[in-house]
Amino acid sequence: MPEPILQVRNLTVHFYTYAGIVKAIERVSFDVYRGETFALVGETGCGKSVTSRALTQLIESPGRIVEGEVLYHKEDGTVVDLLKLNEEQIREIRGNEIAYIFQDPHASLDPLYTVGYQIGEAMEVHGKVESIKEGIKKAVDILRSVLIPDPENRVKNYPHELSGGMKQRVVIGIGIANNPKILIADEPTTALDVTVQAQILDLINQLKEKYKATVILITHNLGVVAETADRVAVMYAGKIVEIGSVEQIFKNPLHPYTKGLLKAVPNPMTKIERLEAIPGTVPNLITPPSGCRFHPRCPFATEVCKRKVPELKEMEDGHFVACHLY
Amino acid sequence: MQEEYKKSILDKLADKIVYGLGSFISLFKKGWKEKNKSKMEEWRLMLYALNRSPPALIGLFLVILFILVGIFGPRLAHWRYNFFPMLYTKSYDKIILAPPGSKFVLDYYNNTVITFPLGSDHYGRDLLSLILSGARTSFVISIIVISLGVPLGILLGLIAGYYGGKVDELIMRITDMFLAFPALILAIALSAVLPERIQNFISTHEAVQKFVLWLFALDVREAGNLGRLLAVILAMIIVWWPAYARITRGSTLTEKEKLYIEAARAIGLPARTIMFKHILPNIIGPILVYITLDFGGVILMEAGLSFLGLGATPPIADWGRIVYDGAQYFPKAWWLVFYPGLVVMLVALGWNLLGDGLRDILDPKTRRSIEFKVKKSKKEGEANA
Amino acid sequence: MEKVLEVKHLKKYFPVKGLFFTKGWVKAVDDISFEIYKGETFGLVGESGCGKTTTGRTILRLIEPTAGEILFEGKNVMELKGDELKWFRRKAQIMFQDPYSSLNPRQTVFEIIMEPVRFHGIEVDDPEEFVVNLLKSVGLNEMHLYRYPHEFSGGQRQRIALARIMALKPEFIVLDEPTSALDVSVQANILNTLKDLQEKHGFTYLFISHDLGVVKYMSHRMGVMYLGKLVEVGPADKIFENPLHPYTQMLLSAIPVPDPEMAKELKAKRKIVRGEPPSPINPPAGCRFHPRCPFAKDVCRKEEPPMVEVEKDHHVACWLYAKS
Repeated sequence: MPEPILQVRNLTVHFYTYAGIVKAIERVSFDVYRGETFALVGETGCGKSVTSRALTQLIESPGRIVEGEVLYHKEDGTVVDLLKLNEEQIREIRGNEIAYIFQDPHASLDPLYTVGYQIGEAMEVHGKVESIKEGIKKAVDILRSVLIPDPENRVKNYPHELSGGMKQRVVIGIGIANNPKILIADEPTTALDVTVQAQILDLINQLKEKYKATVILITHNLGVVAETADRVAVMYAGKIVEIGSVEQIFKNPLHPYTKGLLKAVPNPMTKIERLEAIPGTVPNLITPPSGCRFHPRCPFATEVCKRKVPELKEMEDGHFVACHLY
Repeated sequence: MQEEYKKSILDKLADKIVYGLGSFISLFKKGWKEKNKSKMEEWRLMLYALNRSPPALIGLFLVILFILVGIFGPRLAHWRYNFFPMLYTKSYDKIILAPPGSKFVLDYYNNTVITFPLGSDHYGRDLLSLILSGARTSFVISIIVISLGVPLGILLGLIAGYYGGKVDELIMRITDMFLAFPALILAIALSAVLPERIQNFISTHEAVQKFVLWLFALDVREAGNLGRLLAVILAMIIVWWPAYARITRGSTLTEKEKLYIEAARAIGLPARTIMFKHILPNIIGPILVYITLDFGGVILMEAGLSFLGLGATPPIADWGRIVYDGAQYFPKAWWLVFYPGLVVMLVALGWNLLGDGLRDILDPKTRRSIEFKVKKSKKEGEANA
Repeated sequence: MEKVLEVKHLKKYFPVKGLFFTKGWVKAVDDISFEIYKGETFGLVGESGCGKTTTGRTILRLIEPTAGEILFEGKNVMELKGDELKWFRRKAQIMFQDPYSSLNPRQTVFEIIMEPVRFHGIEVDDPEEFVVNLLKSVGLNEMHLYRYPHEFSGGQRQRIALARIMALKPEFIVLDEPTSALDVSVQANILNTLKDLQEKHGFTYLFISHDLGVVKYMSHRMGVMYLGKLVEVGPADKIFENPLHPYTQMLLSAIPVPDPEMAKELKAKRKIVRGEPPSPINPPAGCRFHPRCPFAKDVCRKEEPPMVEVEKDHHVACWLYAKS
């Protein structure tokens, strides 16, 4: 039995905007096991990024975590609810035990400081080093571990002197500087080219092995998921519709949305006569559809789908689906 | 379902105006109302936004009042601007600088009683009548300056921004030259140099002379003073366009990078069409706000120039000129400075409030928030019931 | 087969302005040649900054080329004037990547579609019916006729852009990453529509994309670009089956495949994917790929490789296949 590191229960986040209450995610529950790569996939606006940020209360106004709990199992066996911690306590965990890598490496680095300083600063904040100066010395090792050539000199570089891929390596370096237990990578390769993407994904995998960390990968790219994840949760319109291992999701998708999504992506290595598209568009989350949120686009929708919200059911070992078909 | 929102009387009025306008246009263009539902919805939301901004409403009220007085002022005035009551009374020395509310009998004018509700000026004229007549002067000047200076600036800015390169350099350097001078100094210099030539022109073209006199509601006797008045207008046009060239160029530069402009080029549309049909409508919002604010600016500057003794000469009624002449008798005859000053201030304030309001109204985000608030108030109303 | 478009030695350099003088040139497109045949889709792939978008725009004369020739149906595009240029503007169209800025926000759908029609003097009996029919052919309907672009989703906006293009009955359409701003489920819809329209009207496409899966799905023939150069041209199937240029090989092995088993297989035999594309301001001498190439030889560092035909219709510019 794998041991959970993070247990998310009924996480709900609403955004109070001028246009109305955006129900960004609604009663989202999942477990993440120690040492695995857990992927959250879905299209724009499905709530995958919001979910990852809500884990450490990184939701800014006008958003608010309405309900739910995020149970974090520390290495010493104690369990804390991350959503109950105050500002000071959560900051100690964020960036230290749970680190983030964001999509845009250009925006994640401060153009006014050298990369060494920025890594040093991240370590100093969490008391891993006495001073930023000492941190900058340690930064050389970190740059080496994220496979940046010539780290002794790179430490003195400013972000604009590095290429996109190198910047993302630095961002990852800042992420792992404090030896985190959980690394949350939010679309870490979306802004990068394919050849660079492959290198960054390899790097994340290597670092995960090396530091025995757990990775939560947020992405819309099913190829990236197939290549790196152990388990996958598929999100649609603020709800998780299916959870399972990579093989279960890709070989035996159960939810009509997952099935549709897989058929809509062209696989460059196979001959495809015709892609199958999902009709309709993603619903507006201010007034989401009643019952199952996918029912207006679902070819199998019945009366019950309009009325009742489907709950996640375990269909085979570790394979959950939220659909009235089952 | 949108008809069910809780609306104020003003909102209902806004609905009537928009739908009325829609039906009116439909009389001439069949089916216009059906085709432009989206447009009418936007207009309605704009009016709703206006209704929710008291400062903008006050501004609108002041501006409408100014426009009405500008048009009908000379007729509303009880006495013509060039009626000098002192000529018709024995107590002529008392009539000069008479305080507000004083009454006199015009012995040589059928014994009519003249009242000065706001006092009289140093020629003994009724200040209220002068202010009403002066509204026309300010109104016409601001319209002429804006309607000639602004399009010139917009045109040059569009050309400079769209073509770029050497054309841009040339136009913008000329603009810089004008902007380098303080506007007021330049206007003073020009209004000192120009009058004679304009006067010559005017006196040789009778039709023009008649038209200008009609515009300002002046008597033929004032024909000799028109040169100075028009000189000020011309001077202000010359100092007014560069600011518009600048802002238009800036917005054009950003707008022309957008893909729909490239799409228009790919279709083969000529530069003229792209500039006026695609770029201009998309950058006009902020410029409109600027124009509104500038109406106040023109009136202030014109008053300022008159205050310096340029432009309108007595007996032409002009707010700035009244203050200029009245300043000599301040504080004894305080009303000569106070009332015209107050009017100038209120008009400038009106245009500024309206401009600020317009900035919010033209911003689609505010409109959406109004839409939301209207919906919300409907929900709350239901909850209370 | 009939050639619709022929590009010969096309070059486009952008100046890098210094304080006073031009400091250097970005060689966005540097001496590329290819042709596109009637009714086919020619895919152009490459990573960001490789010059694929510049190529598309230069072909349509939206950017003036530095050197080279573009022949559209046998006519030199650069020398077109007056009525002939108008004819070209009608026959060759472009669809842009960003659906959010490619439509004028102040025009209704009807105006957006009718403006080019009126400008080109295409006679239409009933404009409304004409536009509605176009909208239906791209999967929209008459309800959308008098709406503004902000009332539509990204996918719907791309459909409007497509309807505008169709209204002119073009022959050749440049598709500049038409789906990269869209979600996968919507992307499949648009790609299928494009394919159906091609079948029905015999359109010729130049399909520009960085997504190899999409290019494979859409193209009959394709070209791979790297730093302003075309490195490999050939039938899409052949390139995917048997990539010749080391860069194409690297690119293909780097794509994440949406299939876990296949991904594991590919990962195992993945060639060393290394390095990043250098800046196009001062590209490497000789073959531009040599600093990243696992097979680089001396000649690669000195001389630019010529384009050679290795198998039928399959060309590659690499010293591994050419004789120096």
